[in-house]
Amino acid sequence: MQLIAKLGILADAAKYDASCASSGAPKRSSRGRDGLGATDGMGICHSYTPDGRCVSLLKVLLTNFCLYDCQYCVNRRSSNVPRARFTPEEVVRLTLDFYRRNCISGLFLSSGIIRSADYTMEQLIRVAQLLREQHNFRGYIHLKTIPDADPLLIEQAGRLADRLSVNIELPTEASLQRLAPEKQVRTIRQAMGTIHHGQQAVAGEVNAPRFTPAGQSTQMIVGADATDDHTILGNAESLYQGYGLRRVYYSAFSPIPDSPTSVPLAAPPLLREHRLYQADFLMRGYGYKAGELLGGAGNLALDIDPKLAWALANREVFPLDVNRAEPALLARIPGIGLRSVQRLVALRRERRIRYDDLIQLRCVLDKARPFIVTSDYRPPQSETRSGLLRERLREPQAPVQMGLWG
Amino acid sequence: MIALDCDEHFDTWRDQARVLLGHGIDPTEVVWAHGPVHDLLAVPAVLPQGPGPFRTRVPAALLDQLELAARYRGEQRWNLLYEVLWRVAHGDRTAMLAGDRLGSELQRRIKQVSREAHHLHAFVRFVPLPAALAEQLQLDLVAFHEPAHDILQSASGHFADRLGRQRWLIATPRDGIRFDGSTLDYRRHCPEQWRQWACHADDPGAELWRTYYRHTFNPARVNPDAMRQHMPGRFWRHLPEGPLIARLVGQARQGKQRDGQAQEVGQQGGKRIGRGDSPTR
Ligand code: SF4
Repeated sequence: MQLIAKLGILADAAKYDASCASSGAPKRSSRGRDGLGATDGMGICHSYTPDGRCVSLLKVLLTNFCLYDCQYCVNRRSSNVPRARFTPEEVVRLTLDFYRRNCISGLFLSSGIIRSADYTMEQLIRVAQLLREQHNFRGYIHLKTIPDADPLLIEQAGRLADRLSVNIELPTEASLQRLAPEKQVRTIRQAMGTIHHGQQAVAGEVNAPRFTPAGQSTQMIVGADATDDHTILGNAESLYQGYGLRRVYYSAFSPIPDSPTSVPLAAPPLLREHRLYQADFLMRGYGYKAGELLGGAGNLALDIDPKLAWALANREVFPLDVNRAEPALLARIPGIGLRSVQRLVALRRERRIRYDDLIQLRCVLDKARPFIVTSDYRPPQSETRSGLLRERLREPQAPVQMGLWG
Repeated sequence: MIALDCDEHFDTWRDQARVLLGHGIDPTEVVWAHGPVHDLLAVPAVLPQGPGPFRTRVPAALLDQLELAARYRGEQRWNLLYEVLWRVAHGDRTAMLAGDRLGSELQRRIKQVSREAHHLHAFVRFVPLPAALAEQLQLDLVAFHEPAHDILQSASGHFADRLGRQRWLIATPRDGIRFDGSTLDYRRHCPEQWRQWACHADDPGAELWRTYYRHTFNPARVNPDAMRQHMPGRFWRHLPEGPLIARLVGQARQGKQRDGQAQEVGQQGGKRIGRGDSPTR
């Protein structure tokens, strides 16, 4: 089979993994040296596909032959898809070619399970080794980790890659048993533990060899089973805490060709995915707890964002005086982001903050107005009922999905 | 009215601004323009001699910010900078902060400039030259790019970090930059020859990248607005994948297809795997 035909099949097979980040790697440069590639911590999106997603890495499978039969996966053994397999050298060639063209900042390599978990992992490592050692490639490498592989192999991968990921796939053990019977929560978590342990072993040691400097990540599929957002966010929080994960990705389940009846054929729940990302960002960047964002069972509201939802549910905290409130509290005002908080704090050192300043800072005042006090503004009494506010502030529902099916 | 031309050079502007400030000349009494000024009401005056009596210190961070904002191509490019400088020099530091009307315009310009540098890093596409031509021109990779602001010189070092000893050039409608494996050669006016090489390079190898682009796209998630927001349309015509976009959106919108697979893959024969199968090449 020609390289270009393999590329078509193996890129198509890899697209369901949401992650394409190239950020968080240490500073590396090839200036004046043999080889190719640099990283500086910032990721680069070299293109966007018409689904609005960033293309930062060459994201392919080494092969889409797979012995497993995960129901949600286009590559499961019972799926009637064309199959292909790259040689490690072919992946290297594609990575270097696309990199020179400035189409990508690195490689995200994953694979179906062939022969055994260890064999598959060895093949992935082989590619990273060729890139790093033979071609002096200093760009970004993300390897998907096969959970059942020998911990020694995982450690070897961690020394070559900027990022490793082990996909948790489904948010509960019961779902995993039903839809991915060959996978086990226990070994998935063990692999995460191996990676976390490898990171801790070099933490703070300046001269230690690097180990996954861009951290580890995972992905949860949303909407392939009936699990609610409350469970999903709680799960994410425990992964952040337990394994020091850098990112949890949420992937709205896209219907697959030749779909088994065990998974839905509905359009991917894109708005729900979006709300989960917003909630996740609030946990990582703003210090919200999962329990604050969603107190009990159920899903995040689709018509308002989770930050606004929290503010509406906690009216006793507001209105906040932007001239006085602690930065951490300012950041909880809907429509005011972290960047604006920094700027407000800088500005209020010079003088008192007026309503007009928030306009200049491009805060989203429609959202912020009921929750703030400035030196010349105070929200009128009529705006105090949360139900009314919510009516006024809710967003029109997902036009994106309408466009596709309408 | 004092009319000045700094030839779009920050250093020249800074020297001029320092003299103006020293002589206490108000921003409303000076105008920067490129070429002759056509303001009939303006009575031309000249830049005073010597540093002037007014002594002031401005924060170093301000000069850095002014230099960044100076790369922005737009209305009042140099006047705006002088107005900020004037206000800060007279004790009003809010002129550099985003909460202030002028400061927020300054910050907006800085942000646009850094965005444009990021666009350069993201959307430049190099075409590899065939070996014989590369040897002849001493050049491995060429690219044509159209930045909206003057960022080429300051932002191109990035490619020397990425590409090691490779020799490359980037041509634009205005300026150009070339790297010979060790030194950067920046030209304010791009040599016509560079532009020719960059615009007319043959690229049969681009088909691999276009194939990847088509297949990594998930038609079940089509959302062209989100794409356009991150990748402005003005860049598409220099991207090898640019010409594919309309067709991919069209196909996904026809609604024939409700899953994520590209049509070309669906049309090929499939293979279910039995437990005993071993993968082949
Ligand atoms: S292991 Fe499961 S999820 Fe991974 S490729 Fe095979 S079938 Fe798909």
